[in-house]
Amino acid sequence: MIGSRSKTIVIWTFVAIALILLSAPTIVVLGASFTAGNMITFPPQGLSVKWYGAILGASDLRQAFIRSLIVSAICTVVSIPVGTLAGIALAKYKVRFEKAIQIYLLLPFTIPLIGSGIGMMLVFGNMGVLGQLWPVGIACCVINLPFMIWAVTASASNLNEDLELAAANCGAPPLQRFLYITLPAVLPGVITGSLLMFILALNEFLVSLLLVDARSVTLPVQIYNSIRSIITPDLAAISVVFIVCAGIAITLLDRLVGLDIFLKSK
Amino acid sequence: MNLSNGARESAAAQAAVSVKNVSMRYDDFYAVRDASFDVPKGKFLTILGPSGSGKTTLLRLIAGFGKPTSGEIFIGGQPVSAVPPHKRVIGMVFQKLALFPHMTAAQNVAFPLKMRRHDARTIADQVERYLELVKLGGFGSRRIHEMSGGQQQRVAIARALVFEPDLLLLDEPLAALDVKLREEMQLEFRRIQKELGVTTINVTHDQREAMVVSDEVIVMNDGLIQQRANPVTAYRTPQNAFVANFIGVTNFLEGPATSVSGNEVAFRCAGHELSGISVGSGPEIKAGMSCSGAIRAEQIRVAAAPEKLADLTFRFTGEIIDAIFEGERMVYEVNVAELGGVSFRVFDHDPIGHTQFLPGERVLVGWNPKDMHVFGNNHSPN
Repeated sequence: MIGSRSKTIVIWTFVAIALILLSAPTIVVLGASFTAGNMITFPPQGLSVKWYGAILGASDLRQAFIRSLIVSAICTVVSIPVGTLAGIALAKYKVRFEKAIQIYLLLPFTIPLIGSGIGMMLVFGNMGVLGQLWPVGIACCVINLPFMIWAVTASASNLNEDLELAAANCGAPPLQRFLYITLPAVLPGVITGSLLMFILALNEFLVSLLLVDARSVTLPVQIYNSIRSIITPDLAAISVVFIVCAGIAITLLDRLVGLDIFLKSK
Repeated sequence: MNLSNGARESAAAQAAVSVKNVSMRYDDFYAVRDASFDVPKGKFLTILGPSGSGKTTLLRLIAGFGKPTSGEIFIGGQPVSAVPPHKRVIGMVFQKLALFPHMTAAQNVAFPLKMRRHDARTIADQVERYLELVKLGGFGSRRIHEMSGGQQQRVAIARALVFEPDLLLLDEPLAALDVKLREEMQLEFRRIQKELGVTTINVTHDQREAMVVSDEVIVMNDGLIQQRANPVTAYRTPQNAFVANFIGVTNFLEGPATSVSGNEVAFRCAGHELSGISVGSGPEIKAGMSCSGAIRAEQIRVAAAPEKLADLTFRFTGEIIDAIFEGERMVYEVNVAELGGVSFRVFDHDPIGHTQFLPGERVLVGWNPKDMHVFGNNHSPN
């Protein structure tokens, strides 16, 4: 009894430490954003929402945020068909060179971001499209695609192989089988993957940094640029907006497919 | 078979399904070897065999999931090798049911009609009718995972029948159910099949199920059809040792045939001559050939006193090795010393006397020659 009790205490201590460490940055930023002073400090000096008002007024931050949303949308829209089809193919069919394809698809993920970022900077630079937003979206899609593929493969490999045969037996031709049976069955994976892709693209800093110019800075890059001049609490406020966006995505995920699917990646 | 060639062809034309010399080969391995059979319209046929016997392969070929290496399958008189599965009008209940998990029960049942572009009104009526048929009226809006195993079975049956196919295929759908539910569903299959008169091919490894539900049984092993008969014939006169062993509980005695006359054979086992034994419908037996004599566990009687077995021709002494009480019967394992120590399984139904022998007791076992079947050993399957 005593043994199990001391075990409980040890476990809960670890849990508490982990929770504090994980949430501390968020709490600090959250607190700092509500400061009434002119410096980022924690605990905040007084309470106000004036920095939220300030970021509403700051057109450069607002525009950077909108650009980030556009980049994320491009990244997500591109990754859905590509990742879904690749994920289903890898899970379901005996694809030739399956191992090689898998490694190739995971490659962007294993190369240091700075490496792939420079690579893409050269490619897009040669194409003369740097400074536009869509190359940033494509780049985010390329480096994060493994997440999408993982999410889809996870729900596709759970598929009962007989489902499509059953649909065929019910009179469904191949396209209908895919649309009515396979696609809905992997939909939880697609939703999970899409939201992940969206959040990751929204947060992507390093690759964006290499691909944007003054006309096309995304929010993380904008924040980084601001830090280099003066650190004001509006950065904390915009960070909180960022966190809220991620929070909304996670909530959506939970509502739509349930977080347990995502966490177990079943 | 005394049919003339012409008569046989017209019989094949009337058959709902006709399988002609179908083989399925994977590299060097034959899953199905030269299978031929007809299923008459409205009949319930069961393909019975152990796992790996090729029965499911055969069923899937009929459904159109794969093409036979050689041979042809006819459905309603038409060759179907070139017809993809979605164009064959066949209902199928899968082993793991394969219900669409993201749809309700009613949506599952409606799917085949939707794919056939029936109008919404017809679909609604038909779905309702078939849910009623499988006793799921009012359950249409349930999700699949909210239903019990038995209810899911019924949804799968309704989905397979709702578009009124000419042929229903059952791929061991009852294998995963517990005994009580399985027996209930067997009778349910039988009822629905009789009610609709749909030609049905069922695949199972459960010999009891095959007996209960079928008009006819095909026994398969190693990709080969071993016997095709109605359940009573398959049970009473198995065509070879495999069928005798696979259906029911059977004891075997080994020995050479000593004489053959007409349909009766005599063979010797441990110095005893057993004569007047019926030859099954299997291959011919010649004197001197090594044979197996098969006798069912329930056709052997066991007693302590010889007078009780006075009506039986063969009587041998033995010793009870094991006695298992199964409720409605006793199952004995008897070591028959007189036949060279062969071990016999005996089912003893004694509802009145409640005789119960104990291990170690000396007993007599006896049976009649007409209940025994002899098979030539060098004509064993393969």
